[in-house]
Amino acid sequence: MQAQESSCTLVLSGHVIDDHDKEALPFAEVYLAELDRGAQADSAGRFTIAGLCAGTYRLRAVHIGCEPVERTVKLVASMEILIRLEHHVHELREAEIVRSRPDEHVGQAHEQLDKDAVERSSGRTLGEMVAVIPGVTTLNSGPTISKPMVHGLTGNRVLILNQGVRQEDQQWGSEHAPNLDPFSSDRITVVKGAAGVQYGSDAIGGVVITEPVELPRSGPLSGEVRALGMLNGLGIGGNALLQGGVKGVTGMGWRVQGSGRSMADSRAADYNLSNTGMHETGASASIGFRDHRWNASAYGSWYARDLGILRAAHIGNLTDLQNAIASGTPWYVGEPTREIAAPRQEVQHVLAKAEAGYAVSERGRVALTYGYQDDERQEYDIRRGGRSDRPALDLHLVTHTGEAAFKHWIGKHIHGKVGVSGLYQENINIPGTGIRPLIPNYRKQSAGAFVIEHYTITERVELEVGFRLETTHLEVAKYNDSDVLIRPEHRFLNRAISAGVNWSVRDSTRVRFNLSSAFRPPHVSELYSEGLHHGAAAIEIGDPTLGSERAYKSVLEIGTALLHGRAHASLTAHASLIDNFIYLRPSSLELTVRGAFPVFNYVATDALISGLDASFDLRLVGPFTWRLRASTVHGRDLVKDEWLFQMPSDRLENTLVYAPRTTGKWRHLEFATTSHLVLVQERIPVGVDLASPPPTYHLLGLSASASRPLGKGELRLGLRGSNLLNAAYRDYLDRFRYYADARGLEIALWITYRFGSPN
Amino acid sequence: MKTKLKYLAYALIASTTITACKRDEVDPITPPPPTNEEELITTLRLHFHSVGGAEHKHMEFTDLDGSGGNAPVIHGDTLSADSVYHVHVEVLNESGSPAEDITQEIEAESDVHQFFYQVSGASATVAYDDADANGHPIGLETVWTVGAASNGTVVVTLRHQPDKTASGVSSGDITYAGGETDIEVSFPLVIE
Repeated sequence: MQAQESSCTLVLSGHVIDDHDKEALPFAEVYLAELDRGAQADSAGRFTIAGLCAGTYRLRAVHIGCEPVERTVKLVASMEILIRLEHHVHELREAEIVRSRPDEHVGQAHEQLDKDAVERSSGRTLGEMVAVIPGVTTLNSGPTISKPMVHGLTGNRVLILNQGVRQEDQQWGSEHAPNLDPFSSDRITVVKGAAGVQYGSDAIGGVVITEPVELPRSGPLSGEVRALGMLNGLGIGGNALLQGGVKGVTGMGWRVQGSGRSMADSRAADYNLSNTGMHETGASASIGFRDHRWNASAYGSWYARDLGILRAAHIGNLTDLQNAIASGTPWYVGEPTREIAAPRQEVQHVLAKAEAGYAVSERGRVALTYGYQDDERQEYDIRRGGRSDRPALDLHLVTHTGEAAFKHWIGKHIHGKVGVSGLYQENINIPGTGIRPLIPNYRKQSAGAFVIEHYTITERVELEVGFRLETTHLEVAKYNDSDVLIRPEHRFLNRAISAGVNWSVRDSTRVRFNLSSAFRPPHVSELYSEGLHHGAAAIEIGDPTLGSERAYKSVLEIGTALLHGRAHASLTAHASLIDNFIYLRPSSLELTVRGAFPVFNYVATDALISGLDASFDLRLVGPFTWRLRASTVHGRDLVKDEWLFQMPSDRLENTLVYAPRTTGKWRHLEFATTSHLVLVQERIPVGVDLASPPPTYHLLGLSASASRPLGKGELRLGLRGSNLLNAAYRDYLDRFRYYADARGLEIALWITYRFGSPN
Repeated sequence: MKTKLKYLAYALIASTTITACKRDEVDPITPPPPTNEEELITTLRLHFHSVGGAEHKHMEFTDLDGSGGNAPVIHGDTLSADSVYHVHVEVLNESGSPAEDITQEIEAESDVHQFFYQVSGASATVAYDDADANGHPIGLETVWTVGAASNGTVVVTLRHQPDKTASGVSSGDITYAGGETDIEVSFPLVIE
């Protein structure tokens, strides 16, 4: 071992270029599979991996928009190599805003979960999947509902782009999880910055981008089937995917995918969490064609979910809530069941997307995208008189989105995108609930124009500047207190700017800096809510005079390789100033037949949110690697000079990874054990919360994965355990922490068979 | 530059306005006329009949427009010291016309409803005088034994889906009842 260590001083370096135009491919990832180590190329496509032992390695190079390339490298002495990536695919990618190259996020801190990472998260929700990224957490409502939170912001302040289309699914409600199938994505990117220029409204805290891999252009069938089992909640699930080319039509490909998941009640450490089952089903299909000039594709997906809401979290008034907090245990615990009873939610989301692109010249390309979304949400409450089978909330949201963009080069060093985008949306309350609607019917139209240009100053420095102007017209139709139909209208005009720089200080050190802004017209719920919010035992009142939220966020990310490549450290510092930050402030008590309720008004303030995300990876002896992830977020109300409610507390994650070299036929062996420490939230506002934040907790996790060839394909196995010590704990960002503990011991097992390889 | 932006903004606003005008005669977002809130409880009335029928008193909570709008009106009453009353509860939705009798709904689902009466300050004890199909109390009918002259309050609570078998619940102790609260009203209680 000693001798081996001392000879491990070889350096593998080289260039990554586009096989077609021989141009450098900036920021490609180069990765040695056996060592689980790699490097990211700089803006000139150069990469260096130092501290290597002599030997034969499987090298994998990945660049967004390219098919990954794998080759074997025999390393006897330090050497320099040239990696060519097929970049045809990339031309199609440029047609879509979602499938952005890294340089479309110049200066923006962003992190990606690749196909394997998504696979390892099988059985988790989208929110839980992305929460492994430092600075990303979730806002939960019990074990089944989780919403992604970026740097302390969630809901309408985090944009979700699904397949390149902004997800529109009643995300204003904190108990409304995103209505999309996490299995339909092979890659998930989180942009941790304000990205109003790129994506329009709502991208205040960040953007979660889910996208599938490229459609095959030709060739035989390929695909995968996956089965999934989960101990906690006796969950079962699966996913199947099939894709291929079309014989005789080069450039044409198709893909179909379907998945499902079903869970019974989850279990906390000491008791059953009654009525927390869920069933979800998703299916998607796409077909596309592309050649050097043209591309066109169509995508359709359907997703349905039926989930139960913790029975003990359904309360009638403030006394019930106070009793729940005081007792410390849920007031209702039944036998575990797969049945889902009221209170429950049923959602259905349909997405259809069509896009087309045409290269008008070598230096310019036009891209058109249209998206249609149909979202249905029914919420069933526990009601008297046999009305529990009638939805208490029944919403139908239809959204059309469109974008036309022109991507272009100006001279040798400037390239960018200019375009217009639009949205048309109608929200209808389906009659028959027998209850006054929580949010009124409305129509929303918005139109925007944007330009983003990138300027490569030197090989090491790249700049981005961008601007967007967007106007929104909101029409509301509702009955006022005197049952008179009123039709208020609102107009909002917003702009966003962004300026960013990527700077490769040295080959081993990269700096990204971005100063950008984003905006969000107030949601109808913030303008016109008027009523009792059962889960929160609060009366929430909107304010029709509220204006748009405007955020200015700066993010500085420094990534550097240390100790001759043995270690990699990354630090992200962020600060955002949000003008007109809308939140609920308690104002008074109102007496009702159910007793007195606190009244919360939607009010605006100015907020400052700042924080740090850190990650550190160190290759220890042999196949051991230590990973550390930490984050802290501080949110202040600048007007009241107070902390903001519901900000994530400080957290620290330590992981020890053991990735032995290939043994026999088994490959990609990896075992990891994780310690997850979440500190008590001490930065809380006074008089907003009825319960004090839950104490610090520590969770132990474990994961193992491996793969081996089987027949003409590859068999992949994985095991994931979380909360191994079955700790009883509650999380500050779980809205049901008043009622019950979070999920206890959880073990998930998945098995995948992949066959064929798309080309 | 600034004027150009302004024109661009006008153009954008104009484009949305133009599309907004292309509307059918019946706008799809127009909601149908509001219907009555079927489960709304506007009125809780307690009828007190003294044994022998000499006295008839009542306590009442009314909030005809539900939560928000006008504040509720609470009317207490004065009970006679050292007497016994039969008390009958009436629950109504008077937001529409005719009024809806919610007492019947509670009776029909008596196995998942229970009233609780918590007296403090005043000298009175409350005993159940009815039972559901399982023999557990409902609390629509009660017997109040009133003692010496005193002042206090009585909190009337209706729980939906309580655990009727939990400790103390059948004798009127709400501590372990669980369920969610449909009614919680505090009346002044004066005994003279």
